[in-house]
Amino acid sequence: MKKKEKKKLGFKRTAANNLFALKAIWEGSPSYLIVYLGSSVIYAVLGFLSETYLLRKVVNGVQSGEDIGSLVTYVAFIGITCIVVYQALQWFWNVMSPPKQRKIAANIEKMLFRQAAKVELACYETPSFYDKYVRAMDEAYDRTIKVMRSFDMLIDRFISLFANSLLLFVIDPWLIVFGLFPLLLGFFKRMENIATHDHQAAVKPINRRADYVKRTFYLGEYAKEMRIGGMYSEMLSALGDTFADYKALVKKYGIKKAILGYVQKIGLEVVTVLGATLYAVWSTMCIGPEAGGMQVGDCIVVLSSIGTISYCLNNLVQNFAEFGEHALFLEDVRYFLDYTPAILDGDKAMPSYGGDLEVKNLCFKYEGSETYTLKNITFTLHKGERIALVGSNGSGKTTLVKLLLRLYDPSSGEIELNGENIKNYHVGGYRQSFSTVFQDFKMLSLSVRENVLLRPLTNGDEQLVENALRESGIYDKLSGLENGLDSILTREFDDEGVNLSIGEQQKLSLARVFADSTPFVILDEPSSALDPIAEYKMFENMMKATEGRSVIFISHRLSSAVLADRVILMDNGTIAEIGTHNELLHKNGKYAAMFRRQAENYLGNEVTANA
Amino acid sequence: MPKKNRQKFSSILKNNLFILGKVAKFTPDYFVWMVVEGLVWGMINSASAIFSFNLLNAVSNGSDFAYALKIIAIMATFYLLAYAFDKWYWLIRNPLMRQKLHLKMHAELFSKAQTLDLACFDDPEFYNDFVWAMNESDKRAIDVMEDTGKLINRIVASSSLFGLLLTVDPIIALMLFVSSGITVICNLIGNKVSFRHNKESNPLWRKKNYINRVYHLSDYSKELRISRADELLMKEYDQNNQKIIELDVKYGKKYYLFYGLGWNAMSTLTFFAVLLYMVLQLGNGTLAVGGFAATVNVVWSIRWMFANLIERITNYPKHSLYIEKYREFLRFTPEIKDGIKEIPPFESLEFKNVSFSYEFASHPKYKFHDDDYKSPTNVEKGKDVLKNISFKLTSGEKIAIVGYNGAGKTTLIKLMMRLYDPTDGEILYNGVNINEYDPVCYRKMIGTVFQDYKIFATSVAMNVMNGKYDETTDYGTVIDALEKADFTEKLKTLKDGIDTHLTREFNDEGTNLSGGESQKIAIARVFANEYPIIIMDEPSSALDPMAEYNLNQSILKYTNDKTVVFISHRLSTTRIADKIYMFSDGRLIEEGSHAELLEADGKYAEMFRLQSEKYEDCKAI
Repeated sequence: MKKKEKKKLGFKRTAANNLFALKAIWEGSPSYLIVYLGSSVIYAVLGFLSETYLLRKVVNGVQSGEDIGSLVTYVAFIGITCIVVYQALQWFWNVMSPPKQRKIAANIEKMLFRQAAKVELACYETPSFYDKYVRAMDEAYDRTIKVMRSFDMLIDRFISLFANSLLLFVIDPWLIVFGLFPLLLGFFKRMENIATHDHQAAVKPINRRADYVKRTFYLGEYAKEMRIGGMYSEMLSALGDTFADYKALVKKYGIKKAILGYVQKIGLEVVTVLGATLYAVWSTMCIGPEAGGMQVGDCIVVLSSIGTISYCLNNLVQNFAEFGEHALFLEDVRYFLDYTPAILDGDKAMPSYGGDLEVKNLCFKYEGSETYTLKNITFTLHKGERIALVGSNGSGKTTLVKLLLRLYDPSSGEIELNGENIKNYHVGGYRQSFSTVFQDFKMLSLSVRENVLLRPLTNGDEQLVENALRESGIYDKLSGLENGLDSILTREFDDEGVNLSIGEQQKLSLARVFADSTPFVILDEPSSALDPIAEYKMFENMMKATEGRSVIFISHRLSSAVLADRVILMDNGTIAEIGTHNELLHKNGKYAAMFRRQAENYLGNEVTANA
Repeated sequence: MPKKNRQKFSSILKNNLFILGKVAKFTPDYFVWMVVEGLVWGMINSASAIFSFNLLNAVSNGSDFAYALKIIAIMATFYLLAYAFDKWYWLIRNPLMRQKLHLKMHAELFSKAQTLDLACFDDPEFYNDFVWAMNESDKRAIDVMEDTGKLINRIVASSSLFGLLLTVDPIIALMLFVSSGITVICNLIGNKVSFRHNKESNPLWRKKNYINRVYHLSDYSKELRISRADELLMKEYDQNNQKIIELDVKYGKKYYLFYGLGWNAMSTLTFFAVLLYMVLQLGNGTLAVGGFAATVNVVWSIRWMFANLIERITNYPKHSLYIEKYREFLRFTPEIKDGIKEIPPFESLEFKNVSFSYEFASHPKYKFHDDDYKSPTNVEKGKDVLKNISFKLTSGEKIAIVGYNGAGKTTLIKLMMRLYDPTDGEILYNGVNINEYDPVCYRKMIGTVFQDYKIFATSVAMNVMNGKYDETTDYGTVIDALEKADFTEKLKTLKDGIDTHLTREFNDEGTNLSGGESQKIAIARVFANEYPIIIMDEPSSALDPMAEYNLNQSILKYTNDKTVVFISHRLSTTRIADKIYMFSDGRLIEEGSHAELLEADGKYAEMFRLQSEKYEDCKAI
């Protein structure tokens, strides 16, 4: 049962998570952490000295008939100290501190990046994990800095609270009773937190609905349909409907929150602050200093410092709420960092010449899925062989390819390279022995060259990239760009970046295959965005370029399967037929039927008649 | 050359008033309550400072206890009432009014978006602003409201405290007044600096966020694992972070100058000057101890309130910039002008010398860009996508538009549907230019299955009927259309039949259809609605060969009397058409029936042979 994910952490975990952040900062730069926290202490102490304490000193001094000259000197001394020290602190906070914080935050973010590149793909498909991961990634940088600010605030308020309370205690120990009273209000605070949290949780589905409507209006992909039908008013009224639900929730939780909040406010401002005020005034006026009551000067100090105390208490409540928030988020970060990737690294070096890739009784199901996506797959990709993987949508072709790349590990059965389980090889080296073009390939917002190689450039790469682009038939277009092959692709962050059409992008990603000389090549529907002429040229080139390399390619167009040494027809997660194109046509099974159906559309009935 | 980013005072005022006007229009109660709340709290704040001033005086002057008690009792009553109001307002009243404002402002933007040309969605600059307006404008409106409420509060409170100080000692009031003036100026300059800092670091943050996205979006996950792109990105990240740090240092010094040396030193200095002045007065007996403490208290309050007041005021120029963007968006007028003519039954549709280019990139119709913005240098956008196209489509005809990717096929369809207007030439419906008809009525004549069709979060029936489904709609129409689209099999498995809610956006019980099933719903749309013209924009792209074959058969079977336009680059789909139009590079290069075009042995014939040649082998078997 995970009906409601626990949204609140215990005190211990909250503290541990925040300390984890402090530790990360400490590891980044111990001296900085000390100076930073030290500056908060200095600031708080000076604040106390220049406000409440100074007031008391002056009032008591005047009342006891002290020399005004020495008081003036005293005030002037504190004043000059404050100005000088504050300026030093301001310099530190404005100029020295931000770069340090950025460096520390960047280190933490990079730690997450490294882990992100390591965890298995399945993590992206498990929503509960993925959500945590995205939240962690999204906020890591800012949150690190926020944690430090919260500590800064905690120190400041705590010192101020402590110093003022101490002062009150020295004046009259009974006053502490008023200081302790707010602690009793913690119970209401907890109830209020629960109500707030429930309210937020209840609002979420409403917001989700509203967000969906927003998307239908602002996403270009809906724009055409929104303009041609009556869907527009339907969606608008769906948005209006959310208000009634929202209102009901405000009624349900708002009143509760208001009452709980009111009790706390009154407890603090009326009972504590005015109570202490009343007590001090009574002690001064009714008992009088002669009978052991308060001095006028002390009474004045009480009146002003009780206000400071209430301010600090208010702030600390907020401060603790911040720590709670940090902890929740850091929980995600820690969970993510502590996660052990399921794809474990092997220690064998990958042989550069490749070899025979043998798939044995392989079964696979996606996490959380009940049915197997791949069942009992057995075949061998011999060195230098070309295999076409065909079959209808959802037959498991792409999944098989992902397993070959070790993006997933099989549920049972194994894949062996030269008789050695691929798990035993170094994962990075193993994957890099494949040149792969996925159906949903992505351009990165980097230069054309970097996109072709997807690795840092070294000497001699220029020629390599140029040749590869020529082979894939996109060189002329790209070299004609304003910055040639150094042009940045996409407009993700560069307004002058180049947006290529899907067809062009596909050609560019195919250039990767030409540029590398890896022993294995995988092409997952490389021709889907290409027109027939371009497809024809592409395959012609591809066959030339992959001479001697082992190739697996997936295509919907059976016409291209003819080019393969062998064809594997997948059906519903199993290998239905395997053999050369001619063998399979002679067999007159599913492959033959499918091939004829496609051919018929081009060639009319003669095919069927002949067959 | 960085341009000056100076807003005129009048435009700051105008923009902020504009948004307040919007709020007053959409939610007048919110506006009234904002003012009331500001006034009430302003009075409470000044009252409590005045009370404690009197109390401190009473204690040190040796007044009687009853008087002090009375002051404390009045304060207690004040707090009891004030906090009751406060909690009621912020936790019950205010959230409702905000939500109402949020919804109304969104509804306005949506109506606006609905009138926009589709072209706007293709202009990345415009589009960003639109999404921005959608996400930010109501938040800004709320911010302006809250700031204004607080501002009223601070003005009421601080002016009454100044008044109090004036009666106590005009010299102190003057000292505070001068120093406050200086801090306001320092702050305003500091804010400008921070604005420049943000602007300069914005591109760096965009880059950082992009790298972050690459690491966490599943789209990139495979590439990240199979290549060494990781190393490239880390390098970029480090360089980028270094640049962020450099800016921090550069601007940090300026911040120090204005916030540290200007604000902090100034206000500390003033505070101690006031303190010393009063200590001296204590010495010569012109000031009593109680009065001293009371005045110090008031000075503290004023210092704090002023800092807060400044913060609020300096928010307005920031708000103004955002509101300007929002106003710009609302002012934008669509290019497609509405005609008024009633639409007669379909006879013919004729393209006459039509040319078209996506010109928005070269001359943005919509302008609100950062000063640094340069229009994209991508020359492609300015070039003609369609050149001099002429052809005629008559009722009942079945035509195919074929050609390679980028030949202009999809653009042609968008023009046909009047989602764009031609740059040159005209499109005639029954001989009349289509821009003389009401575009909404005109579009209703055409049923289209788009390549990138969308399923909406509503019932199956509503989806099939394009949002026009109620008690009066014939149930049979929907069922029939779904049958024709080959959806019946799936329909049987749906619990609520055609009332089944699709997608899980609104409803956790909703049904998620697969890609192929969704496409069938999209196809059913054209069968259900009596469209005289049907356009199939590569409807078979998501289908495997078997399914593609079935779909082709079904379209032929059910569109007997209707006019159909097929778009494809798979010639196997289109040979069934009465007439085929072959496009290449934005031009119409060949037209005729399949047989005629093969006979002519031109580009079409070449393309067809290329596509079919791989299948020739099997004839031999």
